[in-house]
Amino acid sequence: MFERRLYYHIDWALVAAMFSLCALGVTMIYSTTSDPTRAASHLWLTQLYAIAIGVVAMLVTLSIDYRTFTDKSHWIYLALIAVLLYVLFFGTVQMGARRWIPLKVFNLQPSEFAKVGVALVLAKFYGENRGMPQWTDLAIGGVLTLVPLALIYKEPDLGTAVVLLPVFVAIAYLAGMRLRVLGVAVLAIALAAPVAWTFVLRPYQKQRITSFIDPSQDAKGAGYQQIQARITVGSGGLTGKGFRKGTQGQLRFLPVAHNDFIFSVLAEEQGFAGVLVALGLYLFVILRALEAARLAKDRLGSYLVLGVLASFTFQVIYNITMSAGLAPVKGLTLPLMSYGGSSMIATLAGFGLVLNVRMRRFTN
Amino acid sequence: MAEDRRKTSTRLTGLQVIIAGLFAVLAVSFWVLQVVQHQQYNEMAENNHQRTIALRAPRGLIFDRDGRVMVENRNSYSISIVREHTKDLPRTIRLLAQVLGVDESGVRTIVDRHRREPTYRPITIIQDASLAQVAAVVARRLDSELPDVVVEQVPTRRYPDTMGAHLFGYVGEVSDAQIASDASLKSGDLTGQNGVEKVYNSYLVGDDGAKRVVVNSVGREIRTLEEVQPTEGKRLQLTIDLDVQKAIEDAFKAADEGGIASAGAAVVLDPRTGEVLGFTSRPSFDPNTFAAGIDRATYASLNTDEDKPMVDRAIQGRYSPGSTFKMAVALAGLEEGIITPDFKVYCPGHANFYGREFHCWSDRKGGHGSIDLRRAIAESCDVYFYTVANMVGIDKINKWATALGLGVMSGIDLPNEVQGLVPSTQWKLEKQHEKWYAGETISVGIGQGQVSVTPVSMAVYMATLANGGTRVTPHLLKQVDDGHGWKPVPAPAPKSEVEIDPEKLEAIRDGMWRVVNTGGWATGQTARIDGHAVVGKTGSSQIISAQGRAKAANKTARNLRDNGWFVFFAPKDDPKIAGVVFLEHGIHGGNAARVTHHILQTFFAKQDGKPLPPPPTSESMHWDFQDADR
Repeated sequence: MFERRLYYHIDWALVAAMFSLCALGVTMIYSTTSDPTRAASHLWLTQLYAIAIGVVAMLVTLSIDYRTFTDKSHWIYLALIAVLLYVLFFGTVQMGARRWIPLKVFNLQPSEFAKVGVALVLAKFYGENRGMPQWTDLAIGGVLTLVPLALIYKEPDLGTAVVLLPVFVAIAYLAGMRLRVLGVAVLAIALAAPVAWTFVLRPYQKQRITSFIDPSQDAKGAGYQQIQARITVGSGGLTGKGFRKGTQGQLRFLPVAHNDFIFSVLAEEQGFAGVLVALGLYLFVILRALEAARLAKDRLGSYLVLGVLASFTFQVIYNITMSAGLAPVKGLTLPLMSYGGSSMIATLAGFGLVLNVRMRRFTN
Repeated sequence: MAEDRRKTSTRLTGLQVIIAGLFAVLAVSFWVLQVVQHQQYNEMAENNHQRTIALRAPRGLIFDRDGRVMVENRNSYSISIVREHTKDLPRTIRLLAQVLGVDESGVRTIVDRHRREPTYRPITIIQDASLAQVAAVVARRLDSELPDVVVEQVPTRRYPDTMGAHLFGYVGEVSDAQIASDASLKSGDLTGQNGVEKVYNSYLVGDDGAKRVVVNSVGREIRTLEEVQPTEGKRLQLTIDLDVQKAIEDAFKAADEGGIASAGAAVVLDPRTGEVLGFTSRPSFDPNTFAAGIDRATYASLNTDEDKPMVDRAIQGRYSPGSTFKMAVALAGLEEGIITPDFKVYCPGHANFYGREFHCWSDRKGGHGSIDLRRAIAESCDVYFYTVANMVGIDKINKWATALGLGVMSGIDLPNEVQGLVPSTQWKLEKQHEKWYAGETISVGIGQGQVSVTPVSMAVYMATLANGGTRVTPHLLKQVDDGHGWKPVPAPAPKSEVEIDPEKLEAIRDGMWRVVNTGGWATGQTARIDGHAVVGKTGSSQIISAQGRAKAANKTARNLRDNGWFVFFAPKDDPKIAGVVFLEHGIHGGNAARVTHHILQTFFAKQDGKPLPPPPTSESMHWDFQDADR
């Protein structure tokens, strides 16, 4: 199953960059959650366990030829839909959303795995087709994306649901979709926006968008987080306030600092210098993975890499923008750094596939 | 396939460029936030987590002349709202009112009054909160329910109840007018509003300290960054002798309990310096109610009370001096060379001046007969002083009364003193645009008519007679301790000095000695102290004429009673104490002399190193309810 020579083709640079980001994340989680005035928190330890499980998942997705996964992708996809339906009816409710399946050790969030599932099924679907995708191909790919998207949106978890869209768009784009179609799609979304505003968005989602446009309108409500995020980042300065010396994160002016706003904490405590390092690592990971797509032996491999990378890149850019208070606050985590087991495991599993494609570029 | 591959490669390159571009935009954005706008956001972060808490400075303590504490401080708790981090003010008000058990609309009114102030400044809702209230608020704070409510420990004044209330005054929150006139004051500050607290506020007020603390997002204090300790105000030593002061208060209390007088005033001085040994005005109020933030209802009731407890009768009450004025008339006659001590008048009990009949109090006893100055003072003969006043004339009476301190301000270091009046021809011309009629001088001769005096000016009058002509300025401040030991405050200069012929002065003193120390018709024997030559003079001033008395039958009898005076100094040849006791509706001067007796007895017992007399009871004072007309 795992040929010894493949070992030499593992992209160790990519692996190193990824685990550097994981380490940075654990450090920041430790900084924000271990409050000496309260009982010691072990969130950073939990995160380490999640990374360990993620490594195991990564080894699995790395070891088995990615074509085996894509061959079975329709089963994986169906299983995913089943699990998402299960969550919708039997999942546990936390903070007003039904997103989790309680396991003994931790709560599993299946929507995080939907990104990989959709990437697999779309890679297979477009990889089997030759030439420029036709309207029907786009429609089928769209439906394949929209079914899990709708289920996740129903939980409700708009953030994670929306992340599936880039997966579809990126694979379709690479498969040769006319750019004109993309233009039409953007136009359609623009036209659909008012409709979505009236019928689809929940009041709290609307509030987040209005408060983004003018945070001071609602300085103590939804705009609060945004203003605090900007203060957190801005007060960090060039070199930061120092490890565990931040005030915004440490004194809880910034909510969920260890989770959605982990990058703000990094910016506060490590300053612009730390931000550049983290941004550089993320850019390296993304560009390096894009190289894997370029080097892939077949279109299937390229699509798979790009599918995995699309949601990752979208989340990274959106979350970092949000961390600086420059985008509406949405419950989107920063992959590899934010606290969260399901996200960590799913992301590492996804990158296992990326490594897999690159590693097997010379095999038949 | 190759073309396909090239196309894929081109599209991947496109993606790489777009992503690298987005990351560059992100890097620039962070650079703008973290480097370009760092200053601004850093300030905002500090405002977020740092609070400055004012540490109120205790006011300086006030001691008596022997170093005994009279006014001190205690710790009280005030509960305030700091709106800076309030998310929902109406909710905070509702919850706080509920927790404190007070009226919600009242809390809202307080908040509305301070609405325009900066939001970081606490709005005090409850001053001197009960421990139960403090506990209730603190518990809610810990639950983060009321993060915007603070409990502050505030040093608060403790006064000796009603004793010397008008003397000490009280502190209160500054008024808008005071803020406008004094740049060092800000809203919410406490400042002296009356009495010594007001006059010497600049000494008594301390320097507030401050504490910068780090708070978390729910306002809980995490640690202190820096702390500037408050500096206590300067300590003041007053000229007041606590024993004398107590004696005055005790004797007045007995007078009140005995049904003699609930109102009145007393001022006791050292005639050599003008140092005030004791000072009271009755009825009194409790300044402690002001110290802890007086509520509107109590304040209103104090101000509308018929007995006017807020009025400082000692410096703000103007009354007819009655017979106590006779020494001033006598001195004018003697010093102007119009009479000698041996000048005699025949008193048949009444006399006719300018076609009008004037009565002496001795009329129903057949008059005093032939009487000289000493006896005229001792027995308070009205006819004698009608005659002398008529001979001396109003302007010379005015001149000498003024030299003795009557009809002018005493200059005591207390706020809002009013001026009495000793009429003159010039005064009448200026104020009433009329000529002075000689007939008007007659009743001035016995301290009636237009003459009015304040009790404090009567004390100066006695001090001037006691020290031989120096019109000392009564004052309260003896020493100031600014933290480096006591520093004496020089006594204010006398207001004026006149040369009085010792022989002539001696004749007046002789007469005053007989008032206290002889029997018969003398009127002040109740002030007599064995072994100490007390001299004095009683006085009664009519509130209403005998005819009016019948008409005003519906009024309570007490309001119609005469006022009683006793002015005094002692010992006769080397006076160490001089003063006045005034009893509003106290019937006659004899009762005031009884009050004086306890004061002098205390003073001399202390001087002689004997045990102080116990506080008098109403019975032990043997009040005289006889409605005498002398």
